[in-house]
Amino acid sequence: MTRSFIRTFLCVLAATGLWAQQTEVVLTATSSAKLVLGMTQPKASGLDDATIAAEFTAVLKRDLDETGLIAMLQERLPGDAAAVKAWKEAGAQWLLNVRMTRAANGDLQMEASALDTAAEKGVFTRTYNANKIVPLRYLAHYLADDLVGRLTGEKGVASSRIVFVRQTSPGVKEIFQVDRDGAGLVQLTRHGSLTLSPTVAGDGRLAYVTYKGGAPEIWGQRRKDGPHERFYPTAGAGGMLSSPVWSPDGKRLAFVQGDRRGNSDIMTLDLATGRVRRLTDGNGINTEPTWNPNGNQLAFTSDREGGPQVYLMQDDGSNLRRLTGEGQYNASPAWSPNGAMVAYVSRFEGKFDLFVYKLGEGKAYQITTGVSTSESPAWSPDERRLVFTSNRFGSSQLFTTDLSGRQIVRLAEFAGCQSPRWIRGR
Amino acid sequence: MRYGTYLVPAAIVLTLGSLACKPPKTAEQIKAETQAAFNEGVQAFKDGKARGTNPYLTDKENPHKMQGWYDGWDKAKADKDAADAKAAADAKAAADKAAADKLAADKAAAEEAARKAAEAEKAAAFKKAAEAALKTIHFDYDKSDIKEADRALLQGIADFMKAFPAAKLEIEGHCDERGTNEYNLALGNKRAAAALAYLKTLGVDEARFTTISYGKEKPLCTEAKEACWSQNRRGEFKLK
Repeated sequence: MTRSFIRTFLCVLAATGLWAQQTEVVLTATSSAKLVLGMTQPKASGLDDATIAAEFTAVLKRDLDETGLIAMLQERLPGDAAAVKAWKEAGAQWLLNVRMTRAANGDLQMEASALDTAAEKGVFTRTYNANKIVPLRYLAHYLADDLVGRLTGEKGVASSRIVFVRQTSPGVKEIFQVDRDGAGLVQLTRHGSLTLSPTVAGDGRLAYVTYKGGAPEIWGQRRKDGPHERFYPTAGAGGMLSSPVWSPDGKRLAFVQGDRRGNSDIMTLDLATGRVRRLTDGNGINTEPTWNPNGNQLAFTSDREGGPQVYLMQDDGSNLRRLTGEGQYNASPAWSPNGAMVAYVSRFEGKFDLFVYKLGEGKAYQITTGVSTSESPAWSPDERRLVFTSNRFGSSQLFTTDLSGRQIVRLAEFAGCQSPRWIRGR
Repeated sequence: MRYGTYLVPAAIVLTLGSLACKPPKTAEQIKAETQAAFNEGVQAFKDGKARGTNPYLTDKENPHKMQGWYDGWDKAKADKDAADAKAAADAKAAADKAAADKLAADKAAAEEAARKAAEAEKAAAFKKAAEAALKTIHFDYDKSDIKEADRALLQGIADFMKAFPAAKLEIEGHCDERGTNEYNLALGNKRAAAALAYLKTLGVDEARFTTISYGKEKPLCTEAKEACWSQNRRGEFKLK
């Protein structure tokens, strides 16, 4: 009885969610496996209710919605212990209480606690201290991440960020960063030229390709928050250069160098020694390297057997084998953070769709379908979603999808985006 | 009479005696007087006085003074004439030189202008030839083979490179929007390399070319249709 009540409620919730966020959510589906989190009105001093509703509660609700794991239930019920039964009747499995205090100097303290309504005991409690320059919405992200962490054992990604390339004027592209919810856009490079293929190391160091000197060069940061400097070539021209990718330990860069005979090869650059090593054999196009999480294997795209296909090899170039089977054009591999999956794109009837190859099963699953094209998949740090670019609303924009392909969300409405990368924000 | 007999000889004796007692001028004195008269003569000329105003004309006692004054006046006149003549000659020489210089400069300017005109003409001819020869070639989807129709264009580029041995070119490879950014960069490189290889077979030194790939990053046309894609799948040739 209770279960069917929850299910009915969730359908209504999904419908209202769809209605409220019509421009944002393209397609959504809810599963009854979601945890229902009751939330009371946050108790605050030094902040007004409208600000909290807009910059905290709404942000937290959206963050939790996008996890696909937790559904927020807002009822006008009191949050005290006496009301727990009422919340349970209303369908809440957990009950969240939030108390915020803004100090005179602008610093904010937030205490959050969650209660299991069935067992009537605490399941989560945490205090957050934020300096006044931290936006309120970040506290919502942190709380969402920790609630997901409490539920699944792995922190959520609400506070993560997307680094991507965006055209600023014809012939000029620069690298930008945006919060996972589409807020907080920051421009990371100002080269005034084509700047492509960003990659971010685990500690936040950026590397990319820029055409600022006429020919392409690989630039990046040698230390965290350090200046952007040229990595390769150290002198002269290096031919075609593209696709730098940090190794998981952040010590090496895999990249692609093209020669004057039309071949392009996967190379590695050891940042400490400056030593460059070629991994592929100068036979046609080899590009789009992506590391496995151990840093001892790479997946890449090659046209060695005709059209582009995805291959795997060791980080010394040995043990080469083809991964993708079906399709004429399979490219843009992205190895998942836990190593069990490789996302890639495949062309079908003139447009591209996202696929995920599960290495354990040896099978590929189609994620997106439709008349529009979906490109450049990149994994979320928790491996639950993919960020990608799509022209489904016209110009190439950023979207995320869960692995079922049923919950596709437009991340932001910026036009002319490409090569997104998903990184942890804290 | 008697007294006269004594007085006259006495007078004569006195007179002669007095005459005999006036000491004659020494050579030194005469020289000094002559020099003084000379200086006066020089000054008189400088003051613009005529030669006939020699103050010593009446001084028959001291003819050397008259002569000295004349000498001074004449010398001053001669000097002035000589100086005038020299100034005139110098001025003339300077004018002549200026005229000659101007002539030479005019000539050089004319030569320079002619050379510049020739260069401009050459540059214009080069530009015209480059414009005529450096045509964009096109490729099939996901292909980098030189199309039959583009061989004549590449021959034209090879002929241009042979006609202008100093010319250097950058070959740009471009792709249409279909396909990944990175794969298209590699494909653009392959297309530029294909054009380079073909030009090499036509006998042009490959060191005169650089290649660059822009993948699908610099499309000519952004509509999602074949008419647009086929324009974007191209190789461009740019003077370096």
